Amino acid sequence: MAPDASLPLLLGLAWLLPLVSFTIIVLFGPKLGKAGILASYLATGAIICSFLLSITAFGIWHFGGLGARADGDGAHSTTIAATPGDMHAAEDAKQEADAHSDGAHADAAHGGEAHGAEGHAAGGHGAGHSVPTSVPNHYTKDWYSLAEFGPLKMSISYYIDSLTVLMFSMVTLIASLIHFYAFGYMHDELHAIEDHEVVLSNGHHLHRPGRFYRFFQYLSLFCFSMLGLVIAGNILMVFVFWELVGICSYFLIGFYIERRSASNAANKAFIVNRVGDFGMIIGLMALWGSLGTFAFGDIKNAEGKVEHGIFSTVRPAEQIAGPDGVTHEPFSLRVPDGMVKSAAMDKITQEGIESTPDQVEVWRQEKYGYWLLIIAGLGIFCGCVGKSAQFPLHVWLPDAMEGPTPVSALVHSATMVAAGVYLAGRFYPVFTGEVLLIIAYIGAITLFMAATIAITAVDIKRVLAYSTVSQLGYMMLGIGLGGWAAGLFHLVTHAFFKSLLFMCSGSVIHATHTNDMRRMGGLRHKMPWTAYTMLIGVLAIYGAAIPFVIGFSGHYSKDSIIAQSLSFWQLNPRHGAILSGLAIAGSGITAFYMFRMWFMTFAGKPRDHHVYEHVHESPPVMYVPLVVLSVFAVTAGFPWLPFSVPKLLEQARYPGAVATAPLLDKVVFPEEYLSHLDPFHSQAEIMITFVALGGLALAVAFYGLRLLNPDEAKSQFAPIYRVLWNKYYFDELYAAIFIRPVMFFSKMIANFDRWFIDGLIHRLAAGVKKLSLLDDAIDRYFIDGLVNLLAAWTWSLGNSLRSLETGRLRQYVMFIVIGTVALTLLVRWSVAAGG
Amino acid sequence: MGPINWHTFFFYLYALVACGFAVAVVISTSIVRMALYLIVALGATAGLFFLAGADFVGAMQLMIYVGGTLVLLIFGVMLTAQGPLVSLRTTGGDWIVAMLLAGCLAALLIPAGLTVSSWHTGHPVTTAEKDAQDVQTVLVSTTIAHGVPTAGGLPDADSNGIPDKQPITAAPLGMGLLGARVDKLGDVPEALRPGMSGYLLPFEVISVHLLVVLVGAAYLARSKRRAPNR
Amino acid sequence: MQILTQSVGVSHYLVVGAVLFISGVVCMAVKRNALGVLMGIELVLNGANVNFVAFGSKFLRSDSAYALGLDGQLISLFVIVLAAAEAAVALAITLNFYNNHSTVDVDRADELKG
Repeated sequence: MAPDASLPLLLGLAWLLPLVSFTIIVLFGPKLGKAGILASYLATGAIICSFLLSITAFGIWHFGGLGARADGDGAHSTTIAATPGDMHAAEDAKQEADAHSDGAHADAAHGGEAHGAEGHAAGGHGAGHSVPTSVPNHYTKDWYSLAEFGPLKMSISYYIDSLTVLMFSMVTLIASLIHFYAFGYMHDELHAIEDHEVVLSNGHHLHRPGRFYRFFQYLSLFCFSMLGLVIAGNILMVFVFWELVGICSYFLIGFYIERRSASNAANKAFIVNRVGDFGMIIGLMALWGSLGTFAFGDIKNAEGKVEHGIFSTVRPAEQIAGPDGVTHEPFSLRVPDGMVKSAAMDKITQEGIESTPDQVEVWRQEKYGYWLLIIAGLGIFCGCVGKSAQFPLHVWLPDAMEGPTPVSALVHSATMVAAGVYLAGRFYPVFTGEVLLIIAYIGAITLFMAATIAITAVDIKRVLAYSTVSQLGYMMLGIGLGGWAAGLFHLVTHAFFKSLLFMCSGSVIHATHTNDMRRMGGLRHKMPWTAYTMLIGVLAIYGAAIPFVIGFSGHYSKDSIIAQSLSFWQLNPRHGAILSGLAIAGSGITAFYMFRMWFMTFAGKPRDHHVYEHVHESPPVMYVPLVVLSVFAVTAGFPWLPFSVPKLLEQARYPGAVATAPLLDKVVFPEEYLSHLDPFHSQAEIMITFVALGGLALAVAFYGLRLLNPDEAKSQFAPIYRVLWNKYYFDELYAAIFIRPVMFFSKMIANFDRWFIDGLIHRLAAGVKKLSLLDDAIDRYFIDGLVNLLAAWTWSLGNSLRSLETGRLRQYVMFIVIGTVALTLLVRWSVAAGG
Repeated sequence: MGPINWHTFFFYLYALVACGFAVAVVISTSIVRMALYLIVALGATAGLFFLAGADFVGAMQLMIYVGGTLVLLIFGVMLTAQGPLVSLRTTGGDWIVAMLLAGCLAALLIPAGLTVSSWHTGHPVTTAEKDAQDVQTVLVSTTIAHGVPTAGGLPDADSNGIPDKQPITAAPLGMGLLGARVDKLGDVPEALRPGMSGYLLPFEVISVHLLVVLVGAAYLARSKRRAPNR
Repeated sequence: MQILTQSVGVSHYLVVGAVLFISGVVCMAVKRNALGVLMGIELVLNGANVNFVAFGSKFLRSDSAYALGLDGQLISLFVIVLAAAEAAVALAITLNFYNNHSTVDVDRADELKG
């Protein structure tokens, strides 16, 4: 079967299998085995099958050389032999790169072999050494058309390129491991539970039956939604699955529904996400209204005509000459005709100018429609802000730790929150420079703020949650600075080590029955597997490495982001200083709090003997996934693998120069391949190493060797500590700005409803009641009285007539006579009158 | 003053007797006396019948009415006139009402009787009519259909309008009861004569009626067996 | 005495008949004895008979062509017969009443009082 049929089939099946599992568990959950234990087998089996299908697709992609682009660019990925950090080669590559950047437009004429000979010895990290000049190899088609309104189509479609295949493999792998892990973690739910965190009104704890199968039902639904989001071929489908992922997150966070904290957290997550989605809908509307399509790629419709998707509309493939001698390079960002015309609509109607192509070009030069493009990009990014917990919508992610740890590991570290970054990466060709700068700033603010809050957190999952927010900030920063592949690289590595970290923490929590790190300590003696796999995860996020030689996965990905930021700094002194400074400082802080966490939990003396005595290692079903993940946490970043993540990402990079920011003067975005070269690459490595070491040293000093007392520092920096402890008072701020007015307003309305409207209803009812009483009175006295009166009259008439019947003969005779006389008179007079 | 019309004289005689004794019946209190007065009144009425030329009816009045019906009434009177039942008095109020009624009736009837002027005096009989009257004396024969028999007619009527010869009504009455109206033979055009019915049907009906009355009266007045007391 | 010289007409008979009728009615209305009521009935019937006979007579009217002739007499015969029949039945009823109630007072016969 050709790849364009096999890949959709494989990935489509992989997508739908969790849905099947979900349906079966929904319908038959409690009946599956004793207490629903078969539900977990079913769900795990489904996701493992999805994983196998994804791996098969990955294999087909890689070994079929499907990453090759139309003009042979992608062939690079299979023939890279350069060692990483080859300085000499890097210099050559820099010259080449310069030459290439000048002649990037002419790349369309390159043949495959010529390209291959030049570029790859100087491959640097083996990633792209130049801006690609052709569309990445992708397969996109409509599976099912839901609705068509003229040229506008809503459909279920797929868009499969190397990023899709990579994401599928990663998501299904982590999800499979988490399913195994959850089987052990949620074992309690197989029988009835006494929930100690729920106090009923009678003072007792809640007793409830177990909900084992339901957990796997939600996990299956989540896997289906996430995979659907990844495979989606149009932005509307992304939005649908966006919401689905959000609702799964709601279900999973609020799994312990009887706990007030859990249900509040679930509400918070969903509502804050919804705020972001509001912006996303605005972006969708902008795209729909002006471009008339949701699809990413170009699709050949039934008549064989090519329908352009968003990417090719925004970055047209041909070189276009403008009226003033301005040429649009192929694949460079250009405001599409639809947006120009939409923006110039009032001009068209007022002056009656026709929208000929030349006229449209003139308007485009006058920047009509540019703002619409910005709004489209910002809107989509707004959804990412909500989903990926960026500032200011980050408040939901720490509270989402109320859910069981497998949820945190799968949803809130590796996949759902990564969906925002994934979408930012997918939609990258559409972002203008202004949007990118905003993304970068938000990412930077997020990463620094979250890192500082994590310093003071004492709940082990809170530390990891803020760490996740911070790392997501890193990813957004990377993308915002123009480092598209860097951000997505960090996404993949982060998925591995963060889910590893969460699962380890879950193992600790499962053993100690507490989240509070102040009651832990010295656990590594009793939980060696957990401790050392967590150490590997901590090292990965720290970015441990032997510089220029080998490192953990986090090192490579964080490194590439820092390198890009340095490259950006060089071109933009002021913005770059802020952004890079924040990024580098953030990495130091990351190192500090991660090791603080590890030391507090696993090193030192146990602080709570009761906890320490009851601690035991987790069962194998829980720590084997940890081991597997730690292998990936170590190796996922290695760039020399033939199917390394950077290489795969390069195969999906959209052609065209990075966006410019015409509205912001002097902001220039560097091309990403420049960051792989010196000086940025080596500068970044050295800086990271030292800064991270500094953080590590501080952590060792405070928590490892106990040379310094953290409590003294706490009291010395008390104001700062208070601000950090209260999470920069974001929750209180939102409560005051949004929640309190709404509650006030709603209380007012509720009172209005109760006193006025209900009062109205009550009074109306009382009035009706009185009316009915009146009616009753009328009926009883008047109508019945009337009837009774008639009856009485009849009776009295009869009674009075009765007196005629005296029984006396003589009286009858008299009546006869009287009657006769009267009759005679009557006849006589009538005859007299008539005659 | 002319010669006394003896017809008129006898009329007034009989009339006064009849009316007077009728009034006496009303006024009288004793049932026995009432019965006697009634007999006299009805006898005078019979005389009135004779004077009007209805000899058969007068005779029947005397025989059946006075001699039969009233005798029956006397029987009843005799059977029931025990002590206090002989004279039952009426209250004065009833009398007043009755008198009022009588007055109304009188005011109605008597002027009504006096309205038609042709009824105030008798009828002078002409020769032709006398001849026609002779028809009444002839028995049914086949030649009667049209002609007027010329058998010796009635003697001349004098000016008082009363025929000298008393007309005979028994036979024509009897024929009429049997269905042949021999008294109207010459009066009506031939075409209408078939429609001129006799009184055969009423005759038969009356017969049956009398039978029914007989049976009924006998039944009503039977002596009842007393139911034995248990 | 003038009156005796004039012939008698139907009107005179009608007056007599009226008087008889009226006295019969009054008798019926006034008498408490059942037999007295019967006598009143007889008087009424006789008053009617007088009228019939008067109308039937040719001699009593000035236009003899309008007399009823034998019809009047026949009808009065029927009346006589009916009067006899009715008297018989009435007497039977009265005697029955007398046997049951030991009185012929019609005022006592008010069991049909409503």
